[in-house]
Amino acid sequence: MKEVVLRLRYRYWPDHLLGEILSKRWTETAIPVIVLLLVAFAFSEAIPGFLSPNSLADTARQAAEIGFVVLGMALVIVVGGIDLSVGSMFALTDFCALFCLDVLNLPVPAVAVITIVFGALLGAVNGFLIGYLRLRAFITTLITLIIYRSAYDLLLFDYSNTIAAAFPDDAVWDFMGGGGVFGVPSVALLYAMVAIFGHVFMTRLRPGWHITAIGGSRRSAYNSGVAVRRTIARCYAASGALTAVGALFFAARLSTVGGDVGVGLEVTVLTAAVLGGISLGGGRGSVARALVGTLIVLLITNGLTTLSVRGGVNRMVLAGILLVAATIDIRWLKNRTRIIAKVYVSPTFHHMPALLGPRVGQGSRFEQNDKLKDVSLIGLGRIEAPEDVILDRHDNLYAGSRHGDIIRFFPPDYEKMEVYAHIGGQPLGMAFDRDDNLYVCIGGMGLYRITPDRRVEKATDETNRSLYSVNDDSRLRLADDLDIADDGRIFFSEATVRYEMHEWPVDGLEARGNGRIICYDPATKTTRTVLRGLKFPNGICVSRNGQSILFAETWGCCIKRYWFEGPKKGRVEMLIDNLPGFPDNINLSSDGNYWLAMVGMRSPALDLAWRMPGFRRRMAKRVPLDEWLFPNINTGCVLRFNEAGDILETYWDQAGVNHPMITSMREHKGYLYLGGIMNNRIGRLKLGKADPDFVQYETRWRKSA
Amino acid sequence: MTHSITTRWVGRLVALSALVCALAAPAFAQKGLDEPFQGPFKKALAGKTVGYVPVAMNFDLTEGWFAVLKRELEPYGMKVVVRDANWSTNAGAQAITTLISEKPAVIVVHNPDVQTYAKLIQRAEKEGIFIIQINMGSAFRSTAFVGANWIEIGERDTQAVVDFCKGKSNKIAVVQGALSAAASAYTLKGVENVLAKNPDVKVVSSQAADWDAAKAKAITQTVLKQNPDLCGIVGFWDGMDIGTAAAVKEAGLTGKVFVATSGGGEQKGACDLVKSGAFDLDLSYDVPTQGADMAALVKWLVSSDMKPGTVKGSVYTTLIPVTKANAGIDGTCWKLERLKQ
Amino acid sequence: MKPLRLTQQGIVFSIFIVLFAGFSAFLPGFLTTANMLTLLQNVAVLGILGLAMAIVVIGRGIDLSLIAALAVPPGVVLQLVQDGDSFSYALLMATLLTLAFGLINGWLIAYAEVPSIFATLASGLFLAGLGQAALFKLDVVQWSPGLSGFEKLGQGNVLGIPMPIVMFAGACAAVGLFLRKTRLGVFIYAVGDNPFAARATGIPTRPLIVLQYVLAALIGLIAGLVLAASVNSMPTRIYNSTLIYDVILVVVLGGIGLAGGRGGVLNVVIGTLLIGTMLNGMTIMDVSYSGQNLVKGVVLLIAVIADSFLNPRNEETAQQGDI
Repeated sequence: MKEVVLRLRYRYWPDHLLGEILSKRWTETAIPVIVLLLVAFAFSEAIPGFLSPNSLADTARQAAEIGFVVLGMALVIVVGGIDLSVGSMFALTDFCALFCLDVLNLPVPAVAVITIVFGALLGAVNGFLIGYLRLRAFITTLITLIIYRSAYDLLLFDYSNTIAAAFPDDAVWDFMGGGGVFGVPSVALLYAMVAIFGHVFMTRLRPGWHITAIGGSRRSAYNSGVAVRRTIARCYAASGALTAVGALFFAARLSTVGGDVGVGLEVTVLTAAVLGGISLGGGRGSVARALVGTLIVLLITNGLTTLSVRGGVNRMVLAGILLVAATIDIRWLKNRTRIIAKVYVSPTFHHMPALLGPRVGQGSRFEQNDKLKDVSLIGLGRIEAPEDVILDRHDNLYAGSRHGDIIRFFPPDYEKMEVYAHIGGQPLGMAFDRDDNLYVCIGGMGLYRITPDRRVEKATDETNRSLYSVNDDSRLRLADDLDIADDGRIFFSEATVRYEMHEWPVDGLEARGNGRIICYDPATKTTRTVLRGLKFPNGICVSRNGQSILFAETWGCCIKRYWFEGPKKGRVEMLIDNLPGFPDNINLSSDGNYWLAMVGMRSPALDLAWRMPGFRRRMAKRVPLDEWLFPNINTGCVLRFNEAGDILETYWDQAGVNHPMITSMREHKGYLYLGGIMNNRIGRLKLGKADPDFVQYETRWRKSA
Repeated sequence: MTHSITTRWVGRLVALSALVCALAAPAFAQKGLDEPFQGPFKKALAGKTVGYVPVAMNFDLTEGWFAVLKRELEPYGMKVVVRDANWSTNAGAQAITTLISEKPAVIVVHNPDVQTYAKLIQRAEKEGIFIIQINMGSAFRSTAFVGANWIEIGERDTQAVVDFCKGKSNKIAVVQGALSAAASAYTLKGVENVLAKNPDVKVVSSQAADWDAAKAKAITQTVLKQNPDLCGIVGFWDGMDIGTAAAVKEAGLTGKVFVATSGGGEQKGACDLVKSGAFDLDLSYDVPTQGADMAALVKWLVSSDMKPGTVKGSVYTTLIPVTKANAGIDGTCWKLERLKQ
Repeated sequence: MKPLRLTQQGIVFSIFIVLFAGFSAFLPGFLTTANMLTLLQNVAVLGILGLAMAIVVIGRGIDLSLIAALAVPPGVVLQLVQDGDSFSYALLMATLLTLAFGLINGWLIAYAEVPSIFATLASGLFLAGLGQAALFKLDVVQWSPGLSGFEKLGQGNVLGIPMPIVMFAGACAAVGLFLRKTRLGVFIYAVGDNPFAARATGIPTRPLIVLQYVLAALIGLIAGLVLAASVNSMPTRIYNSTLIYDVILVVVLGGIGLAGGRGGVLNVVIGTLLIGTMLNGMTIMDVSYSGQNLVKGVVLLIAVIADSFLNPRNEETAQQGDI
């Protein structure tokens, strides 16, 4: 009864979502967003009509003006600098716009262009000094703040009366200053466009990545060939141009060159940027954060003013909120990864039937023997982590290595070896197609293809994103094993969508159905997920009837069959369940049956723990990672089973000397070749009664040819 | 049933006798006359809101005006709401924008400069809100302006200095406010007007101290070191010229250098300092008077049937020169605490 | 033989010498004892604030709340005396307020790990707001008779030297001794140079950071008292001015890098002298306020650019976070 409740609770309650949501990058902005919502809620309660369309439009108009400046400041901070001169540039560009309009009587489009170019030039002065002359940003922009401001004051003296007397009458100008589309102010619309572009620019385009890279580490960016100086200079110019846009709309709204235009703006802008979570020192920031910061600062100041709060109290409240928000935000950012590490692992209920041990004398089908005692070794100490091994029709032996290579051993003695192809990620399962292309699953990268002339090509690294998944499951995290159907379609398993390759034992602790089987069709170059929710799907083998695949679920300890053709198309059947160990790769044997590797054996302790998700959760939260339960992979075996799922024979290395660890095996001309992901060797075993001419390629591809 | 009929009859009887009494009463009592205009006046004012947007609270002028407005208008059921821009023009502009959408009857605007609020003031009057500008006008002339005549201040201060300098070195200095502030520029114009008539007077220094007492002191100190025979200084604001006066005092020239300045006429800021000899002349644009003028205008505008924009006028404040002669007299200056009572 | 290398401090000092020589030669009345004293007196408060900033910057921080510390606690002294309290009581209250403020600043930066530029920006805003909202009746806090005698701090003199200069000299000596001769002072350099190494060697970095901000606030209080005594009032509106930028300029221009761990009192003195000479000379020449700022900005820019050419920085030598 208790177990039923437990099972239902863990089946339907999505424990894993919390960790997945928290590990989204945007949760870094969570605290500022929460503050913004709280502030907006508090003011809408206190001030009637605070969130009315009119009031919102008024706020949006001002927010967008300052928002442009904050965007510029954010850009400069992300690239690792600071721009204190924005307030003075704001004043000068405001003057420029009104001077062009009222004194020179230029048309509005010309005014806009000149103002923005002028702003960019002012910014470019900063950029030249800081980017090319390598001056320090803080002191340099502090000095340009003073210079620009005094220039403004001097200009003002001569022209303020002319500008004050002019009341320009121009439809475009009025639209910029007070107009809007469906109640949305013009400036807010433009801001939205610029913000969306800015977001795409910073997150999707190369120059944006360069900016973040320089801010993150200028030296590394320089050493990896980024044009550091030019990029920095351009950021400051962009800051100037964005400031000019803000000033242009400000000029259109108020038509003023008053003495304190832009005075102290740098403080407001800096406050908004930092409060939004753009960290001083560079490398971290986004458009969304700039926007959130701007809104918080403006809502607080405007809201308090509207509440008739005096300036002093206004300052105190603003400062108080800033300090509290910043303190919490810093705590959150500092501990976020730690919190995620604690809550990301979300074990679930996993019941296994009673264990039929392989111990000698118990009479089980899996009883241990010592048939692997006489395995001869290939490449001992020269190869690392051959997860899968495969032979081509010319008897060459291929195996992956941890260093990101495919190694080829030459017959007859397999002493000579070479790097067949370098891929970069760790090769796992392998299969040859009809045209001798070697398809390889690469952990962390996807499905790759090595053509007979040794070119490495990417077949696929993404599949369709599932609708309700929080984690982005379109990327392939852990493509594991594959096989190729007669029509060329490639079925491959992805062991887990929640963990990286090196974290596979954690997925075992979780025992949730995180894996899936994906089909890649080379004819159409499309990738679709065909089965989901599998417990670490691993080995895949197209069955002899050509209409189904057999696949192993490692943590499910079972072999299943999936029909992709024929009358049972789409159905999944259990073939063997309650295996005593963790099944890995499946391959054809010469006698018409299948080989199966067991990477490790179940233990009563893990079986029990699997029924106690709460226990495993506490372990994940409280015990350091290296003291967690770990599935036993010290010993394993190879076994042969038939189409009906009956176990025919097992092969063990009882002494545990030559080949206790097995993840794959491949039969070829009377020999069985063994691979293991933790091994530094490939095993070769002479089979007693096997077809001495059996070559997998011929079996698979000649029969239909 | 019978009971209810009886009650009805009793009721009618009482009503009838009440009517007779009411008709007969005037014939016997002293007759009061109903003034026909105070009713509509009260009705027009009651429940109306006056928005007040100073450049900042917490200083003598704005606190004084606010205190007077409240004292004068609240008894009539008007609400005076303050929107403190706290030295930020942008915040002030936003506050006026918000106020316009709240539709008060009158907004009292204290402009930081002649331009920033001009467009907003125009918009507000268009939307039917009276705008009274105080002490600092904007480029747009609204229904009313109440405040000091800066040119007059400049002229009278300079004239006093020039008069004092007669027969002395004829060297004077000018300590301006901020270059970009219109009040400062207007005052300077007044200074120039007088100087044009007195070509023998030489201005040895005319610099802006940015309304900052410390800067004013630094400038004055340097000027005094260069020109120990200086005979007068025209300052633009008494809050800043405390520094000017301190420099004069430090140089031991109190009484030899005539310090003329202007301000709101608050007791500690004006009279006390004139009494102590720091200033020789402090032109006061008496804040309580200005406040009362504003309050009167509000009452008049709200109770009239006028539409905003139909009339435009100004109320220039009559300046009170605070000198040694009247500084000691109670009432020359005002005290904030007393206004707030 | 070591090649002659001009540091930034050397460059600024050279510019100061050139300007000083130029003014002495061409400006009548510049090179007189009286004017020299005026020159120094006019920048004394700036210099004292520069010392406060220097302590914090050497410890790899920045204190933007210094102007609030300059304006508010001394304002409290004047206000309390005006309201009838005794001067000593007022001074005690102001000191307590300053201590509390410094401690809060330090706590925010050292323990809550808020970046110093942001923490002090906000705390300064808070203190200024507190003054406006609760402590002062008007933003110019006027002198009152209860303070008589105290104005000597700003207007008196010792052997003919005005008190502000004496205070600046005293503060220089005290801060110089503290930074160079005491263990805590040397620790501040260690923390500024490399906080993690300092912590690893057992220096109590966090309490030290708190100490920096407390000291800065206390020096700010002293500067504020000198200022108030000097102009016979406390114009708290000074908080809205750009004085803080001048303070940073004095410090950074003198050669104390914002990356921390470098520089000392001498740098502040050099920076202060340069600014003082420029302002004094231009005031004598009757250059307008904005014109002065323009010239000042250009001269400073030249100094910084010259430094960049004489001591080039490149991507390899640049220190991360040294903005």
